[in-house]
Amino acid sequence: MQHNTRYVVTFVLILTSVVALLLTFLNEAWKEKMETNEAIFNKKAILKAVATDVGFEVDDMGDEEVLSIFDNQVEQKVYDMDGIELTPEEVLSIRKYKGGQAEFIDMAKEKKLDEDVRLLPMFIFNGDNNKKYYIISVRGNGLWDEIWGNIALENDFTTIAGASFDHKGETPGLGAEIKDNPVFPASFKGKKIYNEAGAFTSVFVRKGGARDPLHEVDGISGATVTADGVSEMMARGIKYYEPIFAAAKNK
Amino acid sequence: MADTITKPEVKKAEPWFGKKERQLISDPLNDNNPITVQVLGICSALAVTTLVYPSLVMAVAVIFVLVFSNLITSLLRTYIPNQVRMIVQLIIIATLVTVVELTLKAYSYDVYKKLSVFIGLIITNCIIMGRLEAFAMSNKPWKATLDGLGNGLGYGAILIAVALVRELFGKGTLMAGSGAEMKIIGASPDYMINTLESTLFGWYQPNNLMVLPAAALFIIGIFIWIHRSWNPKLVDIS
Amino acid sequence: MELFNIFIKAAFIENMVLAYFLGMCSYLAVSKTVKTAVGLGLAVIFVLGFTMPINWLISEYLLSETGLFGVDLTFLRLILFIAVIASMVQLVEMVIEKLSPSLYNSLGIFLPLITVNCAILGGSLFMVSREYNLGESVAFGLGGGFGWFLAIIAIAAIREKIKYSAVPPALRGLGMAFILTGLMGIAFMSLMGIDPDALTGVK
Repeated sequence: MQHNTRYVVTFVLILTSVVALLLTFLNEAWKEKMETNEAIFNKKAILKAVATDVGFEVDDMGDEEVLSIFDNQVEQKVYDMDGIELTPEEVLSIRKYKGGQAEFIDMAKEKKLDEDVRLLPMFIFNGDNNKKYYIISVRGNGLWDEIWGNIALENDFTTIAGASFDHKGETPGLGAEIKDNPVFPASFKGKKIYNEAGAFTSVFVRKGGARDPLHEVDGISGATVTADGVSEMMARGIKYYEPIFAAAKNK
Repeated sequence: MADTITKPEVKKAEPWFGKKERQLISDPLNDNNPITVQVLGICSALAVTTLVYPSLVMAVAVIFVLVFSNLITSLLRTYIPNQVRMIVQLIIIATLVTVVELTLKAYSYDVYKKLSVFIGLIITNCIIMGRLEAFAMSNKPWKATLDGLGNGLGYGAILIAVALVRELFGKGTLMAGSGAEMKIIGASPDYMINTLESTLFGWYQPNNLMVLPAAALFIIGIFIWIHRSWNPKLVDIS
Repeated sequence: MELFNIFIKAAFIENMVLAYFLGMCSYLAVSKTVKTAVGLGLAVIFVLGFTMPINWLISEYLLSETGLFGVDLTFLRLILFIAVIASMVQLVEMVIEKLSPSLYNSLGIFLPLITVNCAILGGSLFMVSREYNLGESVAFGLGGGFGWFLAIIAIAAIREKIKYSAVPPALRGLGMAFILTGLMGIAFMSLMGIDPDALTGVK
C-alpha cells in the first residue's frame, strides 16, 4: 500500500513509541527479578571454577544454598592494575558498581576501557582444612562475540585448580563446547601458568592435541577461532594479575 | 466488483478448520517445506544442528516467534506503508524476540541463558521475514497464524532430523547437553559430554566431518533427494 | 596495505559463504543462472559496503559509553544494526525496481530477504568483535561482499553447466546445489591457514 510521507512518518513514530514503551515497561517491571537471577548465575559461575576440586554440584544447588556458600566461604577483593587492593569505597569512587563489590564488576565494560585503568576482581574461596583458592576473571573474544571465564588458582599462584568458561554466541557443538562440555574446563586442572624458571607461560589451547603436558590443553575440533580466543584471553587476562601474585608470594 | 450480482449480503461463515486451513498446516510439512522447497532458514539450520537439544530449543523458539509475528503483521497489514514495510516487519520480529527474552530472563534464567545465544539467529532467520512478506502481508489473521504454525513445524522437523544424523554420527550421542543425554554408539571418545559407557558398536569412531557445517549441507542435499524421489511433483525440471 | 590484507582475507580466506556458511538462503535460491546471481551479488556488495561503516559509526558514536548519550547502549546494537540494513535494502530494492524490472522480478522475495541475510548482520557483528576502525570496516565490508559475489557466481556457473549432466532427477537443481556448496566449503577450508601478512610482506 502506498501512502504519503506524512502517514509513513506518523506510522513509524507511533510504532516505535509503542514498542519502546512496552519494552521499557517490561524491563523496569522485572528489573529486580532479573538482577537477582543474574547475580545468582554469576555466583554459580564463580563457584564452578572450584567445583571439581571441592566436590560441588553447582548445577543442582538451589538459590539459597549458593547465597549461603558465597556469604560464608568467599571473600571478595578488588585490585587496580598495579596490584593495589581497593576498598569498596575506593571502588565506588572510581566506577559505580553495586556496593563496590568484586562480584558486580562488569567485565564487559572493563574490557572496553584502557588497560591501565581497569579494575580486577578476585574471589578467595576458603575450602576445608584452611585451603584457599584464588579465583580470577578473564574476558576475550571468540568467533562471534565475547567469551569469558573464571580461573581458580591454588595458593602457589601457579597451579590451576579449575576453570569455568562461558560465551555469548558461539556455535553449539563447536565453540560452545568451552562451556557445554565439562571435559574442556576440566582439562585445565593441574596446568601451570609459570614454567620452572618462574617465567609467565599461561596455558594454551593446542589444535590437534596438547604437546606440553604442563602448559597446554587439547583443542576442540572445528572450533579453532574460539580456542585461539581462549588462549589469547588466558595469556592476556592472567597477566593482569601478575603484580597481585608477586605481592602475595613475597608476603 | 460493481457488476457482480448484488444479492443481499449473506456472509457465509468461513469454517475454522476447513480444507484450506488444514492445508496451511500440512503443506509446509511436505509440498512446501520451508527448508527443502522454499530454501529459507538455511543459516540457522547449519549453525544449530550439530546437536539435537539446541535444535529443539531453536525450533520451539522459531515456531513461537513465527506464529505471533505472522498474526501481528496480518492484523496490521492494511496500515503498514509499503515504503517502510521491511523495517516495520523487523521491528515486529525484534520486539517479539526481546519480549520473550525479557520474560525468560525474569522467570526462567537458565532457559534464557540457553536461548540468548540464538537471539541473533532468530531475528535473521529468513523463514520469519519470508513468511511475513509472502503470506502475512496479504492474508487474514487466522490463516496467517496457521501458516506460521505450519511453517514453523516444517522447519523444526527438518532441523531435528538433520541434528539427529549429525549428532549420532558426529558424537555418538543424542540430546547431549540436556538432562536426557544418551550415549548411543562408539567407544568413549575424548570430547564427550557426561560420557556414559556404551559398548554398542564400540569400534565406531565419531566422524568429525559431521560436526562441520559442510556436513549439514550434504545431509540436507540428501534429504532433498529422498523427499523428491518420494514426491516426484517437486522435481526440478528446469 | 593493511586494508588490502583485510580485503583479501575477507574475500578469500574467510569467505562468508564458503568458510563461515553465512548468507546461505539467498545464495542457494538465487544461483540458478549467472545473470541473476550477478545482480544479487552486486546488491550484497553494495549493502555490505555501506552498512558496515554506518554501523561502525553507530556503535562508536551512539552506542558506546563515550558516545553521544554517555550511556552504554549496546543492548540496542542488534536492533539498530538490523534497522540500518533494512533501510539500505529497501533503498536497493527501489533502485533495482526502477532500473531493471526484469532483474527485480527474477530476484523475487530474495531481494527483501537480503535484510535477513546473515552474512550482512554477521559482517557487522564480526566488525565489532574484531575492533576494526572505520577504514578497516569499509575494507572488510567490501571484501566480504566481494567474496559473497564470487561464491554465488561460482555456484551459478557450476549449476548452469551441471544442468546437462546425468544427475538423478530427484537430486537435480536444489539438492545438487547443497552438495556442491558443501564440497566447495571443504575445499575452502584449506585456505584457512594462509596468513595474508606473509603474502604481502607486511608484519
